[in-house]
Amino acid sequence: MSVIPVLVKREFTSRVKGTAYILTTVIGVLVFVGLSFLPPIMQRISSSFAPKSIELAVLDHGAEPSLVPFLLELSGEREGLSVRDVSGWDEVEAYRLVLEEDLSGLLLVDGPLCTLVTPDSKNVVLNDEIKNVVNQAATRWRAAELGLTQAEMESLFQAVDFRIREVAPQQGDSGEVDGAAQAQAMVLAYFLLFMIYMALIMYGNMVATGVAEEKSSRIMEVMVSTVKPLELMFGKIIGVGALGLLQFVIWVSTGLIMALLGRTGFLGMMFGLTEPLSSIPLTSILWFGLYFLLGYFFYASIFAAAGALVARVEEVSQVVSLLMMFIMVGFFAAYISFLNPNSNLAVAASLIPFTAPMVMFARIVLADPPLIQVAASVVIMLLSILVGTWFSSKIYRIGILLYGKRPSLRQVAQLLKG
Amino acid sequence: MSLVVAEITKRFRDVTAVDQLSFTVKEGSLFGFLGPNGAGKTTTMRVILGILKPDEGQVTWQGRPFDRLPRGFYGYLPEERGLYPKMRVVEHLEFLGRIHGLDRMRARRETTRWLERFELGSVSRKRVEELSKGNQQKVQVIGTMLHDPELLILDEPFAGLDPVNAGLLKEVLLEAHGKGKTIIFSSHRMDQVEEICQDIALINLGRLVLHGNLRHIKRSMGRQILRLNLEGNRDFWARIPGLQLLEERADYLEFRLDGSVDPNLVLAEAMEAGQVIHFELVEPSLDQIFVEKVGAGA
Repeated sequence: MSVIPVLVKREFTSRVKGTAYILTTVIGVLVFVGLSFLPPIMQRISSSFAPKSIELAVLDHGAEPSLVPFLLELSGEREGLSVRDVSGWDEVEAYRLVLEEDLSGLLLVDGPLCTLVTPDSKNVVLNDEIKNVVNQAATRWRAAELGLTQAEMESLFQAVDFRIREVAPQQGDSGEVDGAAQAQAMVLAYFLLFMIYMALIMYGNMVATGVAEEKSSRIMEVMVSTVKPLELMFGKIIGVGALGLLQFVIWVSTGLIMALLGRTGFLGMMFGLTEPLSSIPLTSILWFGLYFLLGYFFYASIFAAAGALVARVEEVSQVVSLLMMFIMVGFFAAYISFLNPNSNLAVAASLIPFTAPMVMFARIVLADPPLIQVAASVVIMLLSILVGTWFSSKIYRIGILLYGKRPSLRQVAQLLKG
Repeated sequence: MSLVVAEITKRFRDVTAVDQLSFTVKEGSLFGFLGPNGAGKTTTMRVILGILKPDEGQVTWQGRPFDRLPRGFYGYLPEERGLYPKMRVVEHLEFLGRIHGLDRMRARRETTRWLERFELGSVSRKRVEELSKGNQQKVQVIGTMLHDPELLILDEPFAGLDPVNAGLLKEVLLEAHGKGKTIIFSSHRMDQVEEICQDIALINLGRLVLHGNLRHIKRSMGRQILRLNLEGNRDFWARIPGLQLLEERADYLEFRLDGSVDPNLVLAEAMEAGQVIHFELVEPSLDQIFVEKVGAGA
């Protein structure tokens, strides 16, 4: 009978009750619950940024005719906008008025030049809104000078009904693209990507630390006298991987339950939400699982080898930091791929084993990459896992019995040759 | 029918830890493996266990290479003890039993039995890290013997045990010996080796210095120790060549006799010098052999 199941079980049971594991699992559940409330939350957030009311004082330095009447006209029509004409005042007095009555700002009009004097120049949203109002007034002013009627003006500014459809060589026209849905998909994809990134770092570290602990507690000697190093390494990788998988199943179940509740409208009723709840597409979840596993098994053996090279647990972080860099590069490459999922960089990065788990996942969720590229990335990952495991097991085998000074990179290379 | 270590050599970079080392351990024997610190004992044990591959030579058991033996054939107690600190004692022992090839039921049964034998029943639910050093040591000894291995390789098994537990361990080892198990253990406590071993190997600087049956070795040393006491002229011995005074005590004088000296002649001379009260010929102790052999070589 193989000894690996015994090793896996020990690895699993000794960690599953750990505080760190329980904590990350709970946080993940909260994130998934939070994701379901994404549309209402985003709505709340954007509305909380919008200025509630604009109170503007206008001081006109120039000659007639002027913008001011049109601003006053707008203030009657637009909700939340009030304009007060202070033309003829002293500028300093006008400033004082703005500060004392807590107005949004003072607009100095001098012919075509408008200057906003505001106590809060950093409030970009408010300033933009004021700029809009001023532009609108200016448009009316010019229209009036040209003698345009209200109807003529409306037709002049009638927006085009602009839609986006995507066409692919195989499927033909895939139908209309929903802009809002795409924005939502991007946020979801970003969260899932971030979880892959976190999980790779967390579980990679767990493997490396575990190996270093076995070395520093010297249990390793007993183990290698009866268990083959390769079995020992696989026992650890699979055991920690099982922890990751369990966590993944818990998170996904949370997502599915939330989606189900969202569909029945139960949650909407409970929290008095009018906006629909989003649900993470099932296919995205499955891709998430696949690329997490591929990425984990690729990185885990390398982390195990790294852990085998140190004599004390405290040194793990030094060796592991290099590997974390690779994962970070993958994360940023995936992040950049978000902007253009089919760029050359994104395609290349989705085929390199160090970055593929994150970049390819991001591309799949966002852009339906060609099937051949998806298949290629999976095959490349599988081959890399084999090569990486073989390579790492050689370092691991030698490293686990090395005590004392940590070997240099050159010595590691020599070990690999020998 | 034995374990044969045949001309093994193990180098680490430019250091030769073990150099052309050969010895034989008879099946069912209690074998003492001796040598000063840094002599290469641990490296040799690791080669025997297959943890390290020798650069030259090989280790065979009954003619078969060692790496094809079934799991659980041997039990190994490393010099630097190690257990998973967070595991509970019972879980840990069951785990060790299982990786040595026991099924779940048997691992559980043996764990209970051994914990009772070593009087650890009260701490069996505790975590390993909560145990005293001595108790951790006992847990580790149990972990080595739990699966009833044919070959026990123990690196300094008595180190860190109080006299009561050392006695218990000795009893357990003798019991295993009685069941025909082969036991190799290293120690620097020569009295313990003398007490329970039949065969020994003494190595120094990676090379074999002495090997064989302990009694034969003692005899073949070519010299004996003489303890003598008499009332009268204690200085008579200066006249006899080949006699070297080791120690002068109130109750006796201790001499080393060269191979060429006839003890009867010494007795005759002594009787002339006075009233002989004590005359005893003893074999050299392992301690003395050790110091002599290693001291000369080191």
